[in-house]
Amino acid sequence: MESTSKNSDITAKKKYLISKGIDGFFEDIYDLYQFILRFFKEAFSAPVEWKEIVNQCYQVGYKTLLLVSVTGFITGTVFTKQSRPSLSAFGAASWLPSLVSIAIIKTMAPLITALIAAGKVGSNMGAELGSMKVTEQIDAMEVSATNPFKFLVVSRILAITFMMPVLVLYTGLVGMMGAYLNVHSNELTSFTSFFISAFKSIEFKDIFSSLFKALCYGFTIGVAGCYQGYYAQNGTQGVGRAANLAVVFSMFLIFVEELLIVQVLNSFR
Amino acid sequence: MKDNRSVIVGIFILFGLVILITTIFTLGGQKKAFVKSFALRAIFNDVSGLAIGANVLFSGVKIGTVKKIEFYGDSQVRVIMSIENDAESHIHKNALAKIGSDGLIGNKIVVIYGGDKTQPQVVKNDLLKVENGMSTDDMLVTLQQNNKNLVDITSSFKSISKKIDAGNGILGKLVNDPALGVKLTSTIDNLQATVDNFKTASLSGKVVMGDFERLSGNFKNPTNSINRIANDSVAYNKIVGTVTQLQNAASSLNKFTANLKTVSDRLNRKDSPLGLMLNDSATANSLKGMINNLQASSSKLNDDLEAVQHNFLLKGFFKKRAKEQEKEKEKEQEKSKGNIVQ
Repeated sequence: MESTSKNSDITAKKKYLISKGIDGFFEDIYDLYQFILRFFKEAFSAPVEWKEIVNQCYQVGYKTLLLVSVTGFITGTVFTKQSRPSLSAFGAASWLPSLVSIAIIKTMAPLITALIAAGKVGSNMGAELGSMKVTEQIDAMEVSATNPFKFLVVSRILAITFMMPVLVLYTGLVGMMGAYLNVHSNELTSFTSFFISAFKSIEFKDIFSSLFKALCYGFTIGVAGCYQGYYAQNGTQGVGRAANLAVVFSMFLIFVEELLIVQVLNSFR
Repeated sequence: MKDNRSVIVGIFILFGLVILITTIFTLGGQKKAFVKSFALRAIFNDVSGLAIGANVLFSGVKIGTVKKIEFYGDSQVRVIMSIENDAESHIHKNALAKIGSDGLIGNKIVVIYGGDKTQPQVVKNDLLKVENGMSTDDMLVTLQQNNKNLVDITSSFKSISKKIDAGNGILGKLVNDPALGVKLTSTIDNLQATVDNFKTASLSGKVVMGDFERLSGNFKNPTNSINRIANDSVAYNKIVGTVTQLQNAASSLNKFTANLKTVSDRLNRKDSPLGLMLNDSATANSLKGMINNLQASSSKLNDDLEAVQHNFLLKGFFKKRAKEQEKEKEKEQEKSKGNIVQ
């Protein structure tokens, strides 16, 4: 509490370059840059907190599986159902598997999984680390010769980064199954025929670009959640703010990344 | 429970990897990514937007993909295709390649077709001959030409309809002149009558054809005489002999007629006795006189013979012969009576 009051005194006396808000925005960017640099330094230095990474993988991956699976199934089913009238108008209902596979594998599976993870995991990270910060548990870890950044931040970011592609694969599979059930119930298409038609429009680069996107989204969610929580201030109000900002920034950055990654990957096609 | 987290995470990641590997192998199997392949080349004037990775079909079956597209020469395009080894035995060196379309608005593909066993199979890096088919642009150009033709045709029809409406030409008069319409109706009635007659004639012809059919059926009957003649060689030879004899008889008759003509010609002439008798009136008169004299002479001779019968020297002879004649008559009468009684 004492350090917080000192910071506020410094801020009060500080002269702003442009304005308080704008200067604060650029300061946040710099802090985020420093945060990421520190993550890479800590991630590639011994010791590796394997147990905590596995624990976070369990929390991030396994505990989120049901949610993303249900979401993926509903998305696949609804997207197929909504697309049918448009294709049927052109007598192209047989193209439904191709359309659905392109949509789910290329875009919807990584995007929906990332948004769900941002809501569930990102907010969880922001709130958890934020509460640890405001209750000075992180400071206590530093005192007890434990590297809190490596233990708390690096393990979480690595876990969400590597669990996201796995979650995307699950979401894609479940989404395609949902699409298949809808197509089968309407067009009586066989399982083999559906998946042959679905994979007809998909290429290896589509699969790998989705996995690459998932890695990027996972890293983004982890960085945004941990950053907001790790630098949370102002007690319980700061914890709530950290959780909220973690979700908002994660989602915003996911959409920005989606745009950039699609542009970059399309240039390689 | 907390100790089992690593196991659960391991299973979770393993299942994720299984999904990834299954997807990769399914996709690879469909894209023929993991099959052994060889390269074939084709040089096109225009590839119509063909892209790398596009399918290559042979007899409607996917046998590979387009591996590379590059410019060749001034403006041609060389397409290098990756063809799976299993298809090698089916593609011959005289096979053709063309740019096709996967559906009406689908992606461009390469279609390999044709080729026969007279040519050897293709080998790695062979250059296939190319058929530059009609592209969508070509079809649009043709369609545009058709549109122009359609405009010309409709313009012509417009001009014709105006002339008709104005009463010009046969069609115009036909449409606008009621009297011509009446004549046309009459003509049509006549035509109808003619058609009816044709119909009747057709029916008669049908009957005749039926008769012919029956006749031919009779001819086919083995018991029919004509059929027997046609099929019996002995009877045929007899007929041939008869015809030959008839020919001979006709020839003899011709000769006889010629002789008769010669005779009649001679009879017409006066240098022969009969001709003279027939044609010369003086001779006819002489003959007439001669005949008259002969009649007179025979009358006188009858009188002389009558007188001889009454002569005493010959009188007994004639009486005796009269008696013998009477006896013979009586004998004959008796004989005839005896036959009646019996």
